[in-house]
Amino acid sequence: MDNILTLESIHTFIGQFHILEGVSISVPRDSITVLLGRNGAGKTTTLKSIIGLTPPRLGKVIFDGEEVQGKRAYDIAAKGIGYVPEHRAVFRNLSVMENLKIAEKKRGDLDRKSDFIFGLFPDLKRLYKLPGNHLSGGQQQMLAVARALVADNKLLLIDEPSEGLAPILIEQMMVAIKELSKTTTILLVEQNFIMASQLGETFYIIDDGKSVETGKMSDLVKNEELVKEYLGVSLGKSGGAK
Amino acid sequence: MMQKMSLKRILPGLIILAAIVFLGIAGYRFMGAESFIRTALSGLTLSALYFMVAAGLTIIFGLMDVLNFAHGAMFMLGAYMGWQFYTNPTFLFGLLPLILAFVMGISTTGLWIPVVSKWKITDKGRKSLGIVLVMIALALVGLGFWKFDVLGLAKTAMVTAMNAGNPLAEASPQEVLSIFWRRPFLMFLSGLLLAISAARPGDDTQVIPSKKAMPWVRLGILLAFTIAAIFLRESASIAVLKMNGTLRFFLALLVGAGVGAGLGSLVEVSLIRPLYSRPFYIVLLTLGLGYVLREVIQLLWDPIAYSMDVPPLFSQPGKAENLLAWFSGQNLTINIVGVTFPSYRLFIIVLGSLMLLGLFLLMRYSRLGMIIRAGVQDRSMVEALGINVKSVFSAVFAIGVGLAALGGIGAAPFIPVTPNMGDAYQMQGFITVVIGGMGSYGGAGVGALMLGMARAFGDFLALKFNMSPAIAEASTVIVMILVLLVRPSGLFGKKE
Repeated sequence: MDNILTLESIHTFIGQFHILEGVSISVPRDSITVLLGRNGAGKTTTLKSIIGLTPPRLGKVIFDGEEVQGKRAYDIAAKGIGYVPEHRAVFRNLSVMENLKIAEKKRGDLDRKSDFIFGLFPDLKRLYKLPGNHLSGGQQQMLAVARALVADNKLLLIDEPSEGLAPILIEQMMVAIKELSKTTTILLVEQNFIMASQLGETFYIIDDGKSVETGKMSDLVKNEELVKEYLGVSLGKSGGAK
Repeated sequence: MMQKMSLKRILPGLIILAAIVFLGIAGYRFMGAESFIRTALSGLTLSALYFMVAAGLTIIFGLMDVLNFAHGAMFMLGAYMGWQFYTNPTFLFGLLPLILAFVMGISTTGLWIPVVSKWKITDKGRKSLGIVLVMIALALVGLGFWKFDVLGLAKTAMVTAMNAGNPLAEASPQEVLSIFWRRPFLMFLSGLLLAISAARPGDDTQVIPSKKAMPWVRLGILLAFTIAAIFLRESASIAVLKMNGTLRFFLALLVGAGVGAGLGSLVEVSLIRPLYSRPFYIVLLTLGLGYVLREVIQLLWDPIAYSMDVPPLFSQPGKAENLLAWFSGQNLTINIVGVTFPSYRLFIIVLGSLMLLGLFLLMRYSRLGMIIRAGVQDRSMVEALGINVKSVFSAVFAIGVGLAALGGIGAAPFIPVTPNMGDAYQMQGFITVVIGGMGSYGGAGVGALMLGMARAFGDFLALKFNMSPAIAEASTVIVMILVLLVRPSGLFGKKE
């Protein structure tokens, strides 16, 4: 299959800590790939290593047929990767409009994309002029995702979009991500297993800084042992809780 | 909830406004109209100067966490360069071809990258090649300045200033072209070597800049300017001196600010950039740089205090009855609601206000301002959006230092021009920034206003009650302590 992104055994250090000790994943084009794993397993660091915020010391990051490891973050991002960090890192002292405008990689990106973005997140249109710190948590999360859509990105790295959201907003976010996957490739980090299992087509499990399992999401849902071992979720319970 | 939040945001502003109104009314009743207005106007003048220094400090710190301890020295440098241009620009025009040639050499960096990145060199070889290139480049600079009478050039303005003689008589001790041409050439070579080293030979992981005509156009323009500068060394300074004094003064403002901005970006790229991971080293570096700049200036122009003439626009004898009358009379003093006030000081207040306005427009409406505001909050996220924050750093450093240098030349006509003239202002600038909150230029404006007023009214009170003038000097620090007791992160600072 055609992969837009391949990580070949990357090792990443933060300070003196060896966070990633060999993560290898392949993200097939035009689909949603989900990274699963416990807290602190290295999922966020994997995303940051791809975009170059915590550059890997060993291994290869191949994006769209080109090795990008060791390049500066802005270079990698400019090649067509959109990054939605965890904790909804929107710019609090910039207005919603400026938050989107700053993500333009070409002049006029926002004008071209605004209809699409406001179609996905109608709330943002109403809040257009407000500063980011006046938005609720859910609105900030939507803004953070919307920001990654302004430029024509070939790959979106989305880190925990459901974190701290009310159930109804999680629903809305899932619809939006599903909609996005029609036009772009998504690599998703998600703790909420229900959301992850409904969105993802391919999964990777990261444990202790290593990629340990991969396969089709539909197979994982059936494999209770594996889920329990690495994710600490009991499928029966959380699956039924919905 | 929204109302509450915005109320909280403007609360410090409201309290300060209330305090100013209260103190204003009290002062007006107590001091009498005339001395109150006079003191308030001198306070505003000081505020404008404090703001010019503090504005740069605060935006530099806000975006890149760098405390620039050379800011006062750069204020001083701006004053000297502007004063040179105004009094006798021989020195500046004598050095200009060398600087332009050097910049022309460096500007070829982008052109070298596609060539040298393909060289096959080992990691070790790469490192030593870099060192060798820089060493040769430095040697070439030394050769370029070999037996160049820089001191002689510098003394021209000194002679003018000391003897008050005809500056044109001193305007032309330039070298003959047949000897001089080597200097810009060597400087160009030196810049070229530095450009090759900056293009990181053998490093094929870097991005090759897109093939646009721009670097060649830029190179052509620089070449044209360099050649013009070589041939016009003497005539340009004579032309400048024959200019109308007012026009020359406004050009001097631009020259001061321009030299400051140029120096700022040079310092950021060459000295500060390698040290971002070691903030403490940057403090030492800028501290040392301040000393070096002061000593160099002292070497060139001796440790004497010069006084720069007030430009003709503000120095016609007599008193203008109002602002309109001043426009036609261009008098030395101007009548403001019954108070005689030097018109040049009014100009300083206007200049400071324009700077605040300009900074506001830049931060609020330009893309650069947007990136700066975003970067103050979260630098790595800005990078992750595909924006090269490091290149924004140089721009911000250039703007910040340019503002300080502009402040320096603006202040030069009414404070003595000495190598240490910036030190006191740097101190007050830091206090201003701390009061306003690190990183907030609006806060710097409010802080400067408070400090200027505290200083002016402190002076007044000290005089009135026969107290030592040290009280007035301490007043700014007292204001700072009061503010920090209430709001430890400054008036508009982020809460840690």
